[in-house]
Amino acid sequence: MFPSNSEDDDRLPCGAGVDDLLTQVAEHAPPRDPAHQRSCPHCRAALAELADLWAPVTELAAEDVRAPAGLLQEVMTQIRELSRNAWHAVLTDPTGQTRIAARVVGAVARLAAESVPHVSVALGNGRPETGAGQSPSPTEIAGAAGEPATDVGIAGSHVVIDVQIAVDYGVPIIRVAQEVRNRITEHLVAHTGLITSEVNVIVVDVLASPPTET
Amino acid sequence: MTRDANPIAGRTDPMEERWVSLAREGDEDAFASLVRAHQDRLYHVALRLVGHPADAQDAVQECLLQAWQHLDGFRGEAQFSTWVTRILINRCHNVLRARKLTVPLPDDIGSAEGLPQATSAEDLAVRAQRRDAVRTAVLSLPFDQRAPLVLTVFGGYTHAEMGRILGISETAAKVRAHRGRKTLLSRLQEWR
Repeated sequence: MFPSNSEDDDRLPCGAGVDDLLTQVAEHAPPRDPAHQRSCPHCRAALAELADLWAPVTELAAEDVRAPAGLLQEVMTQIRELSRNAWHAVLTDPTGQTRIAARVVGAVARLAAESVPHVSVALGNGRPETGAGQSPSPTEIAGAAGEPATDVGIAGSHVVIDVQIAVDYGVPIIRVAQEVRNRITEHLVAHTGLITSEVNVIVVDVLASPPTET
Repeated sequence: MTRDANPIAGRTDPMEERWVSLAREGDEDAFASLVRAHQDRLYHVALRLVGHPADAQDAVQECLLQAWQHLDGFRGEAQFSTWVTRILINRCHNVLRARKLTVPLPDDIGSAEGLPQATSAEDLAVRAQRRDAVRTAVLSLPFDQRAPLVLTVFGGYTHAEMGRILGISETAAKVRAHRGRKTLLSRLQEWR
């Protein structure tokens, strides 16, 4: 960036660090060595250069950026709508409204997740005690007792899904989670017309694959 | 540079605490007051992170909606601004991921039209062009550098606040912000 004395460090010929000068310019921080800086041509030149480069950044940051005029109203309208239809997705059509209960959205998401190979969906009945060598039934895997396997947030036609899954041991979890995400998004738009803003996949367990019969 | 809704960094505004408490009980007007207090700063941060005004507005709206729905989960360990900005950063990240954004840099990067020379800096049009170059350069940064840079330079957050928003230490926040600044500067320098 600037002339340096060493190959791996941005230093001026006088030894001052360019990083320090950049911090000084960008954060309006006081100089480390004011007396040196006042008399050093390298520092003064570098500071002038950095100040010139950084000036448009400061100008941009100083721009008076205001939220769009309708943002507050839009948010509050959606919140009021949300309060009225807390557990329904609402699809508005010129010929009328379609309301889809959150549990329906949750069910579609759950079935979509289960359609992905190597995935079992936690149903939220608490983790059962299992003996050594025994695997819990996929339908009984869950986190805390009573915790739902899918949590659905709905606002108008947008949904956010949290889904808890168990995956077979040995499969790449990240890839499976991504597949679950894609599958839920596809199924929801195909079956309900809802837009999925976010699908959070929580992998709560791994299952030993059932032994194959020989 | 710091423009916190709270007058003293790190200290919670009693009025804001009251709004949060009322909003948690379902008071929509109290939540509207919170939105009013924070929307400009949130929008500014979102705009510099995602680049497009419509996307920024969507991200802020979704973030505020999510905040309303999860107010129960906000225990007040952090300031409301920190908590809601953390939600915003995630929303913006999702927007960019969904868009699979690799911000296309303007065709003229590296050409003589990139960043104008300082000799014409007095000219308003040239200054506007330089700011455009900064906007583009910011959007060209990887997200892990862009977020710290935007939060400190455009959001006015302190390193400590930025660390809390991103879930990292203050020292790590300082390092990331500095790294972002250096990358930005080298881009701007290349375009001269």
